[in-house]
Order: sequence, then C-alpha cells, then structure tokens
Amino acid sequence: MSLLTVKGLDISFGTMNKPVTVVSRLNFEIREAEVFGLVGESGCGKSLTALSIMGLLPRNAYASGEIIFKGQNLLTIDRESMRRLRGKEISMVFQEPMTSLNPVLNIGYQVAEVLLTHMNLSKRDAMATAVGLMKAVKIPSPEIRIKDYPHQMSGGMRQRVMIAMAIACRPSLLIADEPTTALDVTIQAQILNLLGILRQERNMAMLLITHDLGIIAENAERAAVMYAGRVVETSSVTNLLNSPKHPYTIGLLESLPKTKGSPLKPIAGSVPKPDELPPGCKFSDRCPYMISACQKGEPALREISPGQYSRCIRSEEITWAL
Amino acid sequence: MGIIDVVDLKKYFPVRKRTFAKQKWLKAVDGIDFSVRSGSVFALVGESGSGKSTVARLILRLIQPTSGNIFFQGRDISTLKRNSLREFRKSVQIIFQDPFASLNPRMTVFDTISEPLKIHALVKRSDLKGTVTSLLQNVGLQADVLNRYPHEFSGGQRQRICIARALAVSPEVIVADEPLSALDVSIQAQILNILQELKRTSNISFLFISHELRVVQYFSDEIAVMYLGKIVEYAKTDELFKKPLHPYTIVLLSSAPRIRPDGKKKPVLVGDIPSPIEIPPGCPFHPRCPKRFEPCDKVVPDLKEIQGRHVSCHLF
Repeated sequence: MSLLTVKGLDISFGTMNKPVTVVSRLNFEIREAEVFGLVGESGCGKSLTALSIMGLLPRNAYASGEIIFKGQNLLTIDRESMRRLRGKEISMVFQEPMTSLNPVLNIGYQVAEVLLTHMNLSKRDAMATAVGLMKAVKIPSPEIRIKDYPHQMSGGMRQRVMIAMAIACRPSLLIADEPTTALDVTIQAQILNLLGILRQERNMAMLLITHDLGIIAENAERAAVMYAGRVVETSSVTNLLNSPKHPYTIGLLESLPKTKGSPLKPIAGSVPKPDELPPGCKFSDRCPYMISACQKGEPALREISPGQYSRCIRSEEITWAL
Repeated sequence: MGIIDVVDLKKYFPVRKRTFAKQKWLKAVDGIDFSVRSGSVFALVGESGSGKSTVARLILRLIQPTSGNIFFQGRDISTLKRNSLREFRKSVQIIFQDPFASLNPRMTVFDTISEPLKIHALVKRSDLKGTVTSLLQNVGLQADVLNRYPHEFSGGQRQRICIARALAVSPEVIVADEPLSALDVSIQAQILNILQELKRTSNISFLFISHELRVVQYFSDEIAVMYLGKIVEYAKTDELFKKPLHPYTIVLLSSAPRIRPDGKKKPVLVGDIPSPIEIPPGCPFHPRCPKRFEPCDKVVPDLKEIQGRHVSCHLF
C-alpha cells in the first residue's frame, strides 16, 4: 500500500526576473515499510524534494502539486498540523551531523526534546527513553554519553544520535538525505547496517537519498533516478541496474571504473543550470542517443515494462547490460 | 629503488598542553617505508585520520618530518637548497582535493597556468599564450577560457585547470590528494580519463591518495593501506584486491558499497577509529579487529614480507 505519493510536484524559486523551476512534475510513491532510493548528482533536486516533504523549504521557494501522506496533502495542511506530523510521523536524518545538532545542548536533551514535544512524556521519562534510544542505535554506555556535547563525539556517533532522534516517535517514514556521505567507508557500513536493522524492527519506510549507486544497490528495493529536477527513470533496483532504460542511468553506470586501464565512458559535458535547460528532453544536450525529435517536446515518464518507467522516447530501442 | 623512496618516515605534531602537563604528540605518520616506482601509480588508501595527506605534504616538503628520510631520485630532499630545491619543486607537483579552494579567485585561467611557467622561466614571454592554450587543450578545455575567472567554472572544469597548472612545468611526479572526492560520479569519470591518458602517454609517476577503492583499483599499480599512521598492508593492486591479507584491508574492501551485491553479509567493524593522539598499544587495529588474539594488544607487529607482499599482522 502506498504511504507517500508525490504527484506533479513543482518547486521553484522566486528571483528578480522570473521564477526558476528546480523540480518539475515529480511523481513517485513510497509504499509502506519499503526502502525507496532517490539517486542523482548534486543540484538535481533530491534534497529539495526531501525538504518539501518535511515542509522545510526555504522561504523563497514555492512548491505546487501534491504530496499525499496517509491521505493528507502535506502541501495544503495548516502549519500546526504539519508541525505535529514533522518529527513524529515523518522524520529526517541529514547529511552533516555536526551542523544539524545544537552545539550548546547535550545529546540527551536533544534526543529527549522530540519526546517532550510529541509524546507528552515527563522530563524524567523522556530522559529514560532517550537512554533506551541511544542503546538502540548502539552508542556504547549511553547513560554516560547522554551528558556529552556534540563536539565530544565522532562523526559516526553523531550520526547515530541523529538517527536516535529521528526514530524516537516511531515514525512511519524516515527520510535519510545522504546519511553517510560525510563518513568513512567502515563507519558508513556500520550506519547503513544500523538503519537496515532499525527499519525492519520498526516496520518503517525509508526514503534513501544518495549519489552512490552502490548504496542503492545494497539497500533499496525500488528507486528513482533524478536529473535536472525530473525523475528520468524509476523501477525496482534490480531492473534499474541490470536493464536500465534511460540514457542517463546508463551514463551513470558506465561512469564507474570497471576493468583496469580501459578508458571510462563519462557523460559528456556537465549538468546545465536550472535556468539554462535545453528545450525538449532535458538530457538531450548530453545524450549519446539524441535524435532531432528529442528536442521537440519533453518526453513523458512512460511505462516501458511492468513497473519500469522511463522518460525517453527511445527507451524501447535501448538494450544495455553491464 | 624508485623515483621516490620513503624510509622510516615519522611526523609527530605537538598537542597543546597545560603548563606542567606532559607533552602529548599526535602521531600522524608513524614510521612508514615505501617507494614509488618510476612511471607507475602508487596509491595510499585509508580512512580519515590515517595520515595519508600528511604523507603527501611531507613528500612535497611543505612540512618537515620528525624523523626519517624521503629520497627523490636518490637524493634526500631535506638536504636540497637553492637551485636544487627549485628544481625539486618543479619536478614534484600536487593536485588538491577541493578545486574550489585551490585556485586563486582573483587570477584568470591564463594567469594561474602561466605563473609556474614564468617562475621557472620555462618559455619565452611571446610563447606563453600558445603554451597555456595547448596545456588547456590537453585537459579538454578550449582557448576561449583564458581570460575567465575560477568562479565561472564548474567543479570538474576547475579540476581540469588544476591539472593543467600541475602539468605546466612538466613534472616527474604528481601527488594527487583525493582529486576526485569533490566531484560528481559522471565528472569523476571525465577527470579519471584525463589522468589515465596522462599515465599512458607520459612517464609521470603518481602518488595517488584516495579513499575510493573502486577508483584506486582502476588506476593504481601498487597500493599501501594506512591505518593510524602506519602501513598495514602493501602490495600490487591486483594482488591486494584479489586476496587482501590484513583484517583491516578485508573489512575495508568489503565495506565499499557495490553495484552488484554478492548477497553475502558484510562484516561490520565495531567502534570508531581511535584518536591518533591515543593510539592503542600493540597493533593499532586490535580494538576493532575481528581476529585479534594473544599478542595483539601487547606487541606491535612489523611489516613482514610474505610472497612478495607486505603485511603487518601477527597472523602472518
């Protein structure tokens, strides 16, 4: 069953001259208790999508469309209901654990604060629950560490604290925005492992945002690939990585080093600025499969095979295997 | 003997202390040996705090070692003075991680790339423009960028400018300190292709520092894995990836996310990397090691040679 449905989401920024659209006609759904991956390079709109679900877009950004969560449209509900939902039903883990924790409050208080806000616990109960949560995210000797301040902890430990805060109210959706990008590989493996365990125990859905296809391959069930503010391909992870149907997905996979010494096939050029996108298909100016029809109109996200959607007019012709 | 030989290199940084407290040291690099063979790519791999970047700065003689020696073409670089130091500075170049921080925002591309040419008086003033243009073409940039400033370029283009600047003086060694980490995947591939092409067509040797194992496997010939200032394993790249020996290398290789997961459960290390100020006694890896046994917390293992490769672990 669908837990969160994003329908025709547009996000634009008001500038002096004209609004710049950075996310356009975004569609995807997250089912209950599944891990849904959102992949793309920097500037493709992954994080803005996450922020719009949380109702945390910057003030000069404007979102339209629908974000349906458990029957409610998050873009139209009043601020008070959104405040009650945020952190309780939907919570988020950010990329940089140092900038998302308050440096002048101890860890215990910051974890307990969510419980005080949403769960109506007494201060003593909230602190006790906080210790339990810190145990759940495998912070050693939580009774002592609860008095620590963020600067006394390592990056991995801080990210564990962020996770403890995020799962405190047993949300049904956890958004993890590049949760391990700031961490070393061995710590990254620890954190992803922990998220996997917690998610299963608590029957929680997760929106996993990352630029690393390997993380998607190992952790997500379904995923969407974003480019220039659009979903260009979405399907099960198995299909996405074994028989990609969009040239951009193929380009990402081919950019990865494989056999030693053989030249890589990078995607030509670089990501265009959001106000300088080409007409028609937004990937057409970098695409090796481009034909003149590509620049006529923007292709729709079409179902190519059951459950696999691609935004390319030539998807049927494309056969690719690693 | 290689183009660069590092012998028992140590770099300790003093830690700020209270007046009568005992002086503590941060052992960033704690006795390492390796050589970069001429025309090959030597990779240093490790997590943050393992001392990789300190090694890079020592080799460039940007900082002085606490003890130990670095030889460039057989000459100890700490003894170089005036002209020979100048010559050394020309021969060893660096590409930094962050192309946003390593270009002067107030210098045009032409100024940036021609500066080393002027300092070392390598080309006549009238030939400067032609030389800079051909350097830019080598890294895939057109001559029309000459009068533009760094802020007008994307990360990938800036890294190309940094590479062109390093190549300007025809160096013999390039130290590349995480040159791809700040870039997106598709751009990483573009830069990696440039480096690969350089490796193929020139005789430049590389010291390549990275934590991206996929990239290291693709690009390097030999590899040393560092942990808390020490080399724990040192081998030919193919052999190391085929059969890692040190428990840390094993976990490091399996930790990297893979596009084709093999379905096996990954070994996950317990705990964090200890602080380099308080390195554990014995083997520095023992508190996190899944295979530790009796001598590990007491005796520091040496880097031993086994079948042409080197590993520092009591298991071998």
